[in-house]
Amino acid sequence: MTILKEMLAYLVFVAIVGLLSAWPDYKLLNDDRAIISIVFSHAGQRMGDCRMLTQEELNKLPPNMRKPNDCPRERYPIEVKLLSGDSLLYSAVLPPSGIWSDGKSSVYQRIEVEARRHELHMTMVDSERTSGYDYVLERTLDVQPGQNLVIQFNEERKSFVVE
Amino acid sequence: MIARIHNIGQHLFGVVQRPMSAAFRNADNPLDHLGALTVYFCWIVLVSGIWLFIFFRTSVSGAFASVEYLTHEQWYLGGIMRSLHRYASDAAIVTILLHIVKEFAFNRYRRNRWFTWVTGIPLIWMVFPLGITGYWLVWDDLAQYVAISSAELLDSLPVFTDSMAGNFLSDSLLSDRFFTLMAFLHLIGLPIFLVFGVWLHVFRLNGPRINPPRRIMAASLLALLLLSAIYPAVSHNEANLATAPQVLRLDWFYLHVFPLIQQWSPGAVWFLLVGVSSVLVVAPWAPKGQAEEAALVTLDYCNGCERCVDDCPFGAVEMVPRTDGTSYTHQAEVDADLCVSCGICVGACPTATPFRSRGALVPGIDLPGRSIAELRAGITESHDEQTRDRVLVFGCRDDNTTRQLERAGVRVIHVNCMGQLPPSFIDFALRRGHAAGVFLSGCGAGNCSYRFGADWTDQRLQRLRDPMLRKRVDDSRIALAWKSPWNAYTDPATALSAFERSLRS
Repeated sequence: MTILKEMLAYLVFVAIVGLLSAWPDYKLLNDDRAIISIVFSHAGQRMGDCRMLTQEELNKLPPNMRKPNDCPRERYPIEVKLLSGDSLLYSAVLPPSGIWSDGKSSVYQRIEVEARRHELHMTMVDSERTSGYDYVLERTLDVQPGQNLVIQFNEERKSFVVE
Repeated sequence: MIARIHNIGQHLFGVVQRPMSAAFRNADNPLDHLGALTVYFCWIVLVSGIWLFIFFRTSVSGAFASVEYLTHEQWYLGGIMRSLHRYASDAAIVTILLHIVKEFAFNRYRRNRWFTWVTGIPLIWMVFPLGITGYWLVWDDLAQYVAISSAELLDSLPVFTDSMAGNFLSDSLLSDRFFTLMAFLHLIGLPIFLVFGVWLHVFRLNGPRINPPRRIMAASLLALLLLSAIYPAVSHNEANLATAPQVLRLDWFYLHVFPLIQQWSPGAVWFLLVGVSSVLVVAPWAPKGQAEEAALVTLDYCNGCERCVDDCPFGAVEMVPRTDGTSYTHQAEVDADLCVSCGICVGACPTATPFRSRGALVPGIDLPGRSIAELRAGITESHDEQTRDRVLVFGCRDDNTTRQLERAGVRVIHVNCMGQLPPSFIDFALRRGHAAGVFLSGCGAGNCSYRFGADWTDQRLQRLRDPMLRKRVDDSRIALAWKSPWNAYTDPATALSAFERSLRS
């Protein structure tokens, strides 16, 4: 009898282990939903133009540090917006990284959307401009249920890419 | 406040303990070996993991396929090994959780036991990443979810400039090197730290129990094998970064925190994890009453026999060269930082005998807070002719059985741990007519608050360990509440009554 009780105890133990190792199910996304992900790093333009140093200024520098240009390090933050039709899906002003604010700005955002046709309008400003955009993407896409649509920025082509 | 939390913890642990005690009445109870059982499950994970690694391919395209091969084509061995790997890992989480609750509820983490408690916290922080990286390696839908969520959690720390999670959103961003890194972390990096961590965790313990009894090892392995055969672990669909997983079968033992990353925020999850860990780390220093004094050596009575050194469960006593000029070569010395005031050293001391008639009763080593002179006074006080037929009850102060007896109106002579009671005190009580029988109420072997108190008491009374109970003592006049037949009673007061009846018959 004792042996049976012991066996029962072990069976209850492994039953709990087996049960909670894969149950209950976790629903991440409803059947009619999809994900649009925005992920990229991009360096905003420098705050201020490079200036040519005068010969006098160059002479004052050590020989190994005589660069003809003096460029400010600080960069503009980038401003990213994504709209589907008229509804705003994402909007953020992303500061440059680094203690001197001279690094890239990064964005990683997952946005849950309805699975349907979306007229996407993605914009980015990386300069001092106050009106208009430096980069624009206009795309109409049929987003499928469970799809993970990724919007990146291609630095070589200087344009948004949708995968 | 702390005592109330302990009581709640004991109540919660009792929910598991009561049915287990009923099932394992005369056998090895896994609840008494939770730490060792966790280590044993890790061994199963290691051995099964080595088999899986032989066939595992560390690449984006090869990882899932190799796991599928093991699961389906080599189901009779690889599939069983995979299931065993997972279920032993999950079982380890259960035993870790119970281990923490038990040690906390029974107040085995405070004072000089803080080191063992605190060094256990990093082990939790190693075990979870170990399990989580294991799920990454399968590279199915679940792995994709785990990878993205883990990366989001790491991205929220102000350490990384580029987003790590972004690497798992597109096939073009993912490289085979990622699997090499994960395999390194899962197979070598984290396990090495874990082994070191376990060593540190038991560093201050004398004779740590790393392995559970063979009966428990065999039974738990068989049970896990049975589960692996009946309900084998399987993968989700192969990871597809162009899709977002919709429904997942989460392993709630390891991945319970992941849904919170989406429901709350990564920062809130960090706050929770760090907050809980911080509370656990500082718990040993939460205020609670007055600290007890460490065991004290009186050189006039210490003959350097080393029994206290052998019996101390925490390595708090050591032998050092003699300082008083007597002919003995060594003397005992107590490290107050390691001593937990259990008194087991006192129970081991050959000079701790109540038969001494001249002078004060001072042994070679004693507890200032609960001396053996007080213990002897507890036996001899209120002695009259009626007490000849009574049963004298000695009880561990931390034991629930003792509290139950006291609630039933039984007079109990307290010891800090049953190991504090030298066998000569039982001889003294019976021979001098202070009692007709002696009932010992303690935590029991494997469940002792001070690790070895019940073991040493068993062995001393069976005349297997010094100081031994003298042969002239009638064993039938001694009852150990944690041993057969007395542990068959659910109510210790009933067991005591039954023992009293057995003495009269």
